[in-house]
Amino acid sequence: MNSKNRLVWVTWRAGLLACAWAAASLTAGAQAPAPAPAAAAPGATSAAAAPTATAATATAPAAATAEPPPPSVPAPAAEAPGTNGDVRSLDQEVQGAKKDVIDLNKDLFVLEEELLFPANTQVAVFVSMDVGTFFALDSITIKIDNKEVANYLYTAREADALLKGGVHRIYLGNQKVGKHELVAFFTGKGPAERDYRRGATLEFDKGVGAKYLELKITDKVPKHQPEFSVKDWE
Amino acid sequence: MALRYRSIFIGFGLALMAMCASTAAPAAVPSLLDKDAPDFVLKGLDGRNLRLSEFRGQVVLLNFWARWAGDSRKEMPALDRINTTYARAGLVVLGVSVDDDERRAGEFAGSMHLSYPILFDTDETVGRDYAVQKMPMTILVDRAGVVRYQNVGFKRGDEDAYLDKLRELLRE
Repeated sequence: MNSKNRLVWVTWRAGLLACAWAAASLTAGAQAPAPAPAAAAPGATSAAAAPTATAATATAPAAATAEPPPPSVPAPAAEAPGTNGDVRSLDQEVQGAKKDVIDLNKDLFVLEEELLFPANTQVAVFVSMDVGTFFALDSITIKIDNKEVANYLYTAREADALLKGGVHRIYLGNQKVGKHELVAFFTGKGPAERDYRRGATLEFDKGVGAKYLELKITDKVPKHQPEFSVKDWE
Repeated sequence: MALRYRSIFIGFGLALMAMCASTAAPAAVPSLLDKDAPDFVLKGLDGRNLRLSEFRGQVVLLNFWARWAGDSRKEMPALDRINTTYARAGLVVLGVSVDDDERRAGEFAGSMHLSYPILFDTDETVGRDYAVQKMPMTILVDRAGVVRYQNVGFKRGDEDAYLDKLRELLRE
């Protein structure tokens, strides 16, 4: 075989190979759409079976919608309960984590209070309100041994909460063992929308344990006036 | 000769560095951006007490102002317009006066016929918490109580910047 014939032979074989490759790729392209949804569907179901994979659960419905499955593949509606179950379990896990955080925060708060305000020096003052027809609370100032220790402005919501039975801890601090004097000034609107400012005093003896005092605002119905008192919780 | 040039060059460089340091120092104002807005409770012009944290879930525009600041007088009508337009969309505008004289500040605010609440920070505790150094100062707090925008002073066009930012926050 001379060189010219050899070149023709090689070119002809190369043409044949190219035709065969083109035919093979065409056949593969025609068959490709059929297995694709079948591959997507198991992926979706396996993702649905995974308990905590958020990305997988997010992609599973997307895959189902992007390439509609053939009639033989179960409809997405059939997979919905599994996905819902996943979401529910994930939600439960999130709720559990939230509860853990809240519990931890509570423990830290208690620990912090125990460290900052040890029981042998702790004095706490609470505010409560009963009825409140004759008094709209605006602010309370507390002085212990003639030193201002708390000054609190009440918003309408906070005053409402007190009227509904809420108790507000207005002061928490440390005081030495012995005798002390507490003076509380109540400011607000009295009967007939008049500005009202009243004081209440209590001499208390701080012992070795924690001391709890209560400032109580009540209505004095016979006199149509509010009444302010300071009570020692024994 | 080369040594002389070198010493001049070094001296010039040192002088430039000192100048940069002196100009950079006052600019270091503590910023509250992306931090939780410090909570406060203040008495309002109408006698009500308002607490910032009670507006959680709404976008709050805090405007620190003073009667003696000319820019505050220019800014207040603009904020009033913003309040009337966006109050229904969940915006709360709070004007905080840092004037010492509550009575005169109240009279001034009353004369402006503003639709938003005016609060008095006469002892400037809230102003200190927010590091207010120049009047007026405007802060936008998002629905989660985080400071998202801060502007010191007021000039023409700032109103548009407020609108852009608060629209973005209201959409969140």
